[in-house]
Amino acid sequence: MQDFTNQGLTSLSTQFSIQLGKRLLFPQVATATLEFIINKALALNNNKSVSFAAVAQKMLTLELAELPFTLCFTVNTSASKTVVIVRSCSELSDCTINTSLSTLNKLKANQSLTQLIKQDELDVTGDIKIAQQFANIAQSLEIDWQSELAKQLGDVPTHKLLQFGNKITKSLVGRGKQLEADISEYIVHEKRLVVTRSQINAFNQNTKDVASKVDTLSVRIDKLVANIANK
Amino acid sequence: MSSTDQNSSANDLSTTPNTAIDADTLADSSVDTSIESKSTTHFGYKTIEKDDKISMVAGVFHSVAKQYDVMNDLMSFGIHRLWKRFTIDASGVRPGNKVLDLAGGTGDLTAKFSQLVGREGNVVLADINSSMLNVGRDKLRDKGLVQNIEYVQANAEYLPFEENTFDIVTIAFGLRNVTDKDKALRSIYSVLKPGGRLLVLEFSKPENELLNKAYDFYSFNILPKMGELVAKDGESYQYLAESIRMHPDQETLKGMMENAGFEQTSYKNLTGGVVALHKGYKF
Repeated sequence: MQDFTNQGLTSLSTQFSIQLGKRLLFPQVATATLEFIINKALALNNNKSVSFAAVAQKMLTLELAELPFTLCFTVNTSASKTVVIVRSCSELSDCTINTSLSTLNKLKANQSLTQLIKQDELDVTGDIKIAQQFANIAQSLEIDWQSELAKQLGDVPTHKLLQFGNKITKSLVGRGKQLEADISEYIVHEKRLVVTRSQINAFNQNTKDVASKVDTLSVRIDKLVANIANK
Repeated sequence: MSSTDQNSSANDLSTTPNTAIDADTLADSSVDTSIESKSTTHFGYKTIEKDDKISMVAGVFHSVAKQYDVMNDLMSFGIHRLWKRFTIDASGVRPGNKVLDLAGGTGDLTAKFSQLVGREGNVVLADINSSMLNVGRDKLRDKGLVQNIEYVQANAEYLPFEENTFDIVTIAFGLRNVTDKDKALRSIYSVLKPGGRLLVLEFSKPENELLNKAYDFYSFNILPKMGELVAKDGESYQYLAESIRMHPDQETLKGMMENAGFEQTSYKNLTGGVVALHKGYKF
């Protein structure tokens, strides 16, 4: 019953956050930001051999488990430069990928698309070639972030900033691993040793029973003492 | 100013001489919006001859055309970009589609549609105001968008296109400047292909009373001052606020679309109903 109520509350709060997100035009903010970042990255790409011809005017839709809206990518090559347009739409696209952010990270780590589909971590509807071409383009982009940053900040500040960034990243990764280890340790070993609520309740009940018995015994002893005294 | 210049696009700011109803009365939202007759119409709170509206609205857009985008960003705090994105998302536009961006002004929607319909598609940016059209054309050309865009100076009431021409027609912040909205909706219906959809993005009535009051305060006290300060044209912003209040509310506009023949009509309130996106299909 409690589980049922919890599920209801979770579903309600999810619905509420989705509605709030839509009211605040969150999908549009997200797609606009993503579009800006992607097109900025394309402008900074040093690998001039990347060809967008195969995906021109093709629509790829990404349905991420973590997002309550879809992300539709369309590549336009007809203007003076190649532009990727990101929208949140519900129309049929040339290829639709249904997956999660963690799986996308695996894709980034060079795990193949077909391998992930076999593992049921990714579902593709439509022309899979389009998804592969989009993935290939994303992997073949070469952006020298250091040089780009140096243009804005200068060489020395950029070097120091990246050094600091690397340190922070290493530290965060280390702490993340430690946290992960602590959590596994807790789940695997310590959680078993932790007293559960039912055990606490049983202990409390036992204590109450003993206290009650002690009280009864005490009354009986008092009676006996009184009897002996009367004799 | 040319007498052919009338409704024009988006977030209009217009030169409005006098106002017949004062702002406080309007803030009570009790103004009768149905006082139009066969020969008269609204220009903000003022009731004027229908024939005069074209030139009066045109005056606004001729004067603001060059500062139009900047003022839109200022007035809406940039949110108009998200409203327009929402419109694009709802349009279901696909490569190869033919799109009419009516009262398209400086071409924000046209730019995106042009990229989405690709070489096989076509976008017509139509506006009754030549100044707005010129600014839009220059802006789009500067962006390198030239291949699939046509520019047409046209009155929404008498669209110069063949029947069943477009897959999508949009009119963003333009309908309330049209003299005869019913006629314009019928004209749009006619040029849409069967299966095509109309999207009307327009200021509307906020759902929440508190938001409505805050919005009224902003519109009638801050907006005109902002206009005076930045564009040296406070009266235009007074007109903007008035014309928004005189525009049909969500349900009324939905009814008007249905009367014009549109089916499966619906609307979506954005930013609490400050703006609404109406959608209707021609089958």
